[in-house]
Formats: sequence, C-alpha cells, structure tokens
Amino acid sequence: MKRTVPLVLTFIVGMYPIFAFFVPHRIVSDLNDRLDTWLIIVAAFALPLGAVNVFMMNFSKISQRKKGWPYSLVILAGLVVMGAIGIAGAYRQDSIAQFQYLFQNIVSPLQSTMFSLLAFYVASAAYRAFRARNVDAAILLVAAIVVMFGRIPFGDMLTHGSMTPLSEWLMTIPNTAAQRGIIIGAALGAASMSIRIILGIERTYLGSGKD
Amino acid sequence: MNLKSMLYIDRRIIYLLVSIGALIPIITPIGLPVMPTKPVAALFDAIEKMGPEDVVIVSFDYGPSSEPELNPMAEAILRHLFTRKIKVVVMALFPLGGNEEAKKELSKIVGEFDLRYGVDYINLGYKEGAQAVMKRMAVSIPDVFPTDADGKSTQGMPIMDRARNYRDVALVVSLATGIIGEYWANLVNAQFGVDVSVGCTAVSAPKYYAYLRAGQMMSLLGGLKGASEYEKLVGDEYPAIRQTYEQPQEKKISATTGMDVQSIVHVIIIAFIVFGNAIYFMTRKEGGK
Amino acid sequence: MKAGLILLILMLLVAVAGVAVQPAWSQVPFEPPAKDLVAKDTPDDAGRSIALRWQGSGEVSLRILRGDSPDGNFVDIGGAAAGDQAFNDPGTTDGKPYYYRVAYRVGEETLYTSVVGPSVSRSNWLYKGRINALLLTVLMFSLVIAYISTARKGKTLYLRRIAGLAAIDEAIGRATEMGKKMLYVPGIMSIGDMQTIASLAILQHVAKQSAIYGTNLEVPNKDPLTFSAARETVRQAFLEAGKPDQFKEDMVTYLTYDQFAYAASVSGKMVRELPAANFLIGSFFAESLIFAETGQSIGAIQIAGTADVTQLPFFVTTCDYTLMGEELFAASAYLSREPVLLGSIKAQDITKAIIMMYVGAGIILLNIGLPILRNLLITR
Repeated sequence: MKRTVPLVLTFIVGMYPIFAFFVPHRIVSDLNDRLDTWLIIVAAFALPLGAVNVFMMNFSKISQRKKGWPYSLVILAGLVVMGAIGIAGAYRQDSIAQFQYLFQNIVSPLQSTMFSLLAFYVASAAYRAFRARNVDAAILLVAAIVVMFGRIPFGDMLTHGSMTPLSEWLMTIPNTAAQRGIIIGAALGAASMSIRIILGIERTYLGSGKD
Repeated sequence: MNLKSMLYIDRRIIYLLVSIGALIPIITPIGLPVMPTKPVAALFDAIEKMGPEDVVIVSFDYGPSSEPELNPMAEAILRHLFTRKIKVVVMALFPLGGNEEAKKELSKIVGEFDLRYGVDYINLGYKEGAQAVMKRMAVSIPDVFPTDADGKSTQGMPIMDRARNYRDVALVVSLATGIIGEYWANLVNAQFGVDVSVGCTAVSAPKYYAYLRAGQMMSLLGGLKGASEYEKLVGDEYPAIRQTYEQPQEKKISATTGMDVQSIVHVIIIAFIVFGNAIYFMTRKEGGK
Repeated sequence: MKAGLILLILMLLVAVAGVAVQPAWSQVPFEPPAKDLVAKDTPDDAGRSIALRWQGSGEVSLRILRGDSPDGNFVDIGGAAAGDQAFNDPGTTDGKPYYYRVAYRVGEETLYTSVVGPSVSRSNWLYKGRINALLLTVLMFSLVIAYISTARKGKTLYLRRIAGLAAIDEAIGRATEMGKKMLYVPGIMSIGDMQTIASLAILQHVAKQSAIYGTNLEVPNKDPLTFSAARETVRQAFLEAGKPDQFKEDMVTYLTYDQFAYAASVSGKMVRELPAANFLIGSFFAESLIFAETGQSIGAIQIAGTADVTQLPFFVTTCDYTLMGEELFAASAYLSREPVLLGSIKAQDITKAIIMMYVGAGIILLNIGLPILRNLLITR
C-alpha cells in the first residue's frame, strides 16, 4: 500500500498531461488547467517547507554548539530579519521600502559578487584546460579564441570586421549543431526516464529502487 | 622557476591580473566601438514596426546575480518600447528577485517618460509556476494576474482589456537567466505562435542559438555584448535616448562601458591561453630531447 | 420637332453631367476589404470559439458583428486591423448557432458583408495538428514496452561502458582510503526535474557504497523537495546495506533556496572540509563552474553529470569525468543492471537511431526541394 498508492498516483498524474496534450476537449482541458493551478500552489508551499528546515537545522546547531555554529547564527538572523520585513510589507507600506533597501544593498551586491567569481574561475580553468594536446583539443582552442575575440571590438579592429561574422558563424552553425545533438539525446533520455517513472519501473524518487 | 612549474602557475596570480585588467577600464574608460549583429537587430527592427496599438510583454526572469548583464538590456528595450508608445505589460517568473528587478527597472525608466500606469504600462508582479503560468496566460492573462505587483486589482485597467491573452500580444521579451527563456521559446512560441525574443546571460547564449535557428525565437541578445549592441541601435535611431546614455551617471553603468572591461579581460584570458600553450610546447620539446 | 430637339439637348446635358460627376468609387475599381467571409468552429480547441476568415484588400480596419439569427440584432464583438484576414470569437456557447457579418467604413458610409452562418462551436476530441507527435509518442512507448518484455524474457542487452559511471566506485574507494568524506551535490532544481531524479538514482548507489565501506557522505541541497527525497534515498540505501544505525540525519542537509548563497555555502564546505571525492550530478546553472573549480583547487576527484548543454563545457574542462546528457539518465540502468531498466535504454537508443535516419533523409530531400519529411514534423 505504501508503494502502490504513490505508483498509481504517479501513473495517473503522469499520463493525464500527455493525454491532455492530444485531446483539447473541455472535459480534459479543464482538469488539466486545474492540475497546472495545483502545481503552482504546491510549488509555492515548497518555500516555507525550506524555511522551516533551515530554521530547525541551524537552531539545533546553535543550541548544541556544533562546529561552525556562529555561521548558523548569521543564517537565522538573515532569515528572521528579511522574512519579518517581507511579511510586514504585505501590511505596511514603509516595510516594502525597507525590504527593497535590504534587497538592493545587501542581497543584490552579494549575488552579483558571487556571479562575478565566474570571471576569475573561467580564466584559471581556461589557462589549465585549453592546451593543444591533440587535434581535437587544438580545434577547441582555436574556436575558443575566435569566439572570445569575436565577442569584443578588438577582434573586428584587428581583422577589419571579419571576426564578428566568423564568431557568429561558429555560434550559429557548428555550436548549434552540437547543442541540438546533445539536446535531442538528453530529451530522449528524459522521455525514456519519464516513461519508466510513469510505468512504475523507476522508483528512486520514492526513496528506493526496490520494493 | 622552471618551464614546467609555469604550466601550473598559482591561480591567484591569474586572479590578480584579471582584477587589474577589469579595474583599469573602469577608472579610465576606453570607449571601444560596438557593431550590432543580426540576432540583436532583429528585435530592434521588430519593435520599430510596432506602435501604440501593440502590446508587448516584458518578463523579468532573472535575479540580482544577472543584473550586470541583463539590467542594461532591460533599460535599452524599455526605453525603446516607451519611445514608440507601445503598451508594455511587465511580469516576473524568476522567484528570487525577478519582481524586485522589474520594479526597480520600471520605476527608473518610467520616470523618463510621460506615462500612465494601467493605461500605457502595468507591472503584474511575480507568479510562481513558470510553465503552468505561461500555459494559463494563453487562456486569460487577467485570470492569472487578478492583482498587480502592488496588490491592486487589474480588473478595469484599460491595458488589461488590450492584453486579454496571447492573441492580443505582439511580442514577448524574456530577460532570462536559467531555463525560463527556453520555456518561452519551447512552449509559448511553439504551442501558441507568439513571437518570442530572449535576452540572456552570455553563458546561456550558446544554447539559445538552437532555438533562434529553429525559428522558435525571433531574436537573441546575449550578455553584455547584446545589451551594448541594442544600446547602440536605439542610441543611433533616437537622439533623446543617446543623450540619456551620454549622461555621466548612465554612461558609467551602461553596457557599452561594460564592454571595455569585457574586452580587456578577454584579451588577458587569450594571452594566458597562448602563454600556457607556448610553455606546454616548449616543455614537450624539452621532454623530447 | 422643336420639342424633340429640346428633349434631345436636355438628355445630352444630363448624360454629360452624369459623366462629369462620377462617384469616386466608379473611377477606380473598388476592392472590398472583406469578402468571401467564412465562419467555422475553431479547430483543435476546447470549444467556445468560432474562427472567421476572409479575403480582403487590407486598406481599412474592420468591425466584427455577431447575431443569434440572420435577421436579428447584430452586436459588435471586436475589431480587426487593416490587413488582418482572421478573427477568433472566443465568447460563444457550444452548440448554439451564430451568424456573422463584417462592417467597414468607406468614406462616411458604413458597409457590410453578407451574413454568414449558422456557425456552431464545439469541443474537439483530437488535436489534428499534433497527430505526428502522437504517433511518435506511441512509437516510443511501444518500443520501451517491447524491449522491457524482451529483457524480462532473459535476453542479455548490451550497454557500452560509461566512463563516468564506472569511475564512481573508484572515487568512493579513493575517499575511503584517504579517510576523507565525499560530497554529493544533486543539482539545484526541484524533484520535478528529470535530472534531479536521475541524480537521486546515482545517489542511492553512492550512499549504499558509502554505508558498506563506512565512508563519510554529505549531501547539501538547495531545493526543499529534493532535500526530502534525498534524505529518504540515503536512509533507504543505508537500510539496504544493512547499516541503518550508521545513517545520520545531518548527512543530508538543506542549505538555502538562493542559487548563489548555495554556491557560496557548498564552496565553503569544500575548502574547509576538503572532501576527497565530489559528485556534481544533476541540473546546474552558473554555479557549476564555482563548484567544479573550487573542487579542482582542493585536489578532489570530481565526477560531474548534467544535461544542461551550457554547463557541460565547464564540467568537461574542470572535472575528471563528466556524464553528458543521456548518459546521466542511463545511470540507474547502468548501475543496477536490472534487465527492465536496460530494456528502456535500448528502446531509447532505437528511437534515437530512427530520428537520426529521419533527419538524414530529411536533409537530403530538403536539399533537392522536397520538404516532405520536414513538413511532417510541424506541430501546433
């Protein structure tokens, strides 16, 4: 029963949208639209679930003085302050301004900073990885340099305007062809996995592959 | 320091040189020229053909981490749309910060024009569910967004009578990080036939070329370069917008200025790659001897 | 005679006046902006909609009028811009007959097309524009079921070696020998993403091995639903390994829903706790390079796997092994070697082969001016 009910539910809820994709009749589409609405509601409920987990985990870390407990204090302080001001914003106009202030002056710069780490990591990864060890690696190296030059004005300045068209050609033809191949393969893999889940053959999402 | 040790140069030296390379053009701007490309020009041309009777959805599907690349894009596109008096419906599908980015950018750009909220533009705010939301919008946009970003009822707002569902929408512009831009192309364009244009971060741009080539997107703005190209196109066509970008505060944060930094950093990375390969071949030669 | 002459002169004057004062429309041939109006049930929909189509000159805008009877009152239900040749009326009641006509202005005058109808809207049972997708879906389902039946009968199905999956045990062994922990990052998307489910299948194997060899395992999560599923997966794996008491709740943790806060937290864990093996398997976005490069800097063996094409280059350049696209989805079959799962992989490969042959044939035909195969794939 513990396994059967989820499997039956998975089959019904998995097959229904597939069925609705081919059958536009109102009887079918009304329920499908309802399922979409339920999905929005369930997805929204995942967020408070996460907040409760964060609170419980970090509170226990602080109370038991586990290794790294000061970091947990910082996490909970951030969670409480932003959460309280955000909820208060639903009732008070000045809280919205405070929330936006915190967002624009703390959250936003922190996120931009983390994203900007990629610039440095790309540089170190490129230095280490782009070596012409063989023909394939050499082709990769040349393509990378052409695209990098093509994305900046220097490339056109040095080659009288031919770097950007070459870079665009690389992106739109070989790159697109390779990406499509991987996308098609991955899509088939995902479709195959979906069929396995719908038919109850793949059960890892339930916590186990076996009965 | 022998040749072989230079193959494994301390990454902190690389980081330091990249930092210096990024700082110099910020302190002393270079002002490198920008050449618009076809994928970007396609959006510009499409909006040029539109007017006050058209409705365009601009979806803020990114958060603060992608601000540096996508905010300049958002500003250039919104300025273009408002200059042409096109009706703009703003929304957000990115859960962490999409709504905040939409509010921030809209309040900044709206201040430059004489516009009426609810008539010329509206901010519908954030809705959870991405694909489910997109599918429901094909039936009724007011039903999906009964209130706007500030909680006011959208019923009765003149602009919502003009944007009842996708049939009333001329174009969707998604400024996206992650997968949401793909949903617009895959789902909204493929199933409902609405023209979709995506502005994305540079790292995501390669995957969107497949959708562009397949005709599921009518244009693509990739990263800071795409934003700088669009700034050039609107600046060249509309002197008022060009003047806005020439103001010191705007110039500092524009994509065109950002391209100076990107250019220098790209050159540094290419120099490192060439240097690394030169050392590699020299050590191979030494090893052969 | 005199009277006849006067009459003749008068007639000539009238004729000349008539020629001189010709109405504007008779000087230039008039092309009505809407003609051949047709109103039919909108195809492939859930009903309550009638589609109007017409031919026209496209010089003036039009108003669409709808009535319940051909002679009754017509109500304006909307407009079409100059140049439009279609209009959908989404406000009908299924089964009720409607009549339509189109109004347009010529100068000061409003003119109408003739009334068309009765038109009745209804819900359709099949998307005719998606029959090709239906056939492909049926084909794929049939192949999966057929090969699963074949596998159940005991036939051995070959699966090529996938380096990334074969290296999992090597990575676990390395961590065990060094006495260090393993870090498993199941991606940043929710349980609804196929890549996350595929990652949990691999996590189950890694957790079981970890239980058997007594290696420390940590699984930090970004999504709350994935966190719940991952916890159950690891708990079950320890149970199956016969070591339920070794499972600890804080092996599987939820960190934060924010992408870059999660990246910062996991990178910090890598730098502080120095895991010997990193598994970066699932759906990733920009944080992929942050994880992979940080892991590379601490000298951990790294096995990555994703179907996100934009992140694959980052993993390929920084990780020891990378599972690309469908290799990730084949993991559960590869690791378990269950015939039923192998059968579905075989079906997937056959479908891919069919698609490749179709695309090849389509390209050839397209280049000789025959877009038949391409047109067969168009879906609405």
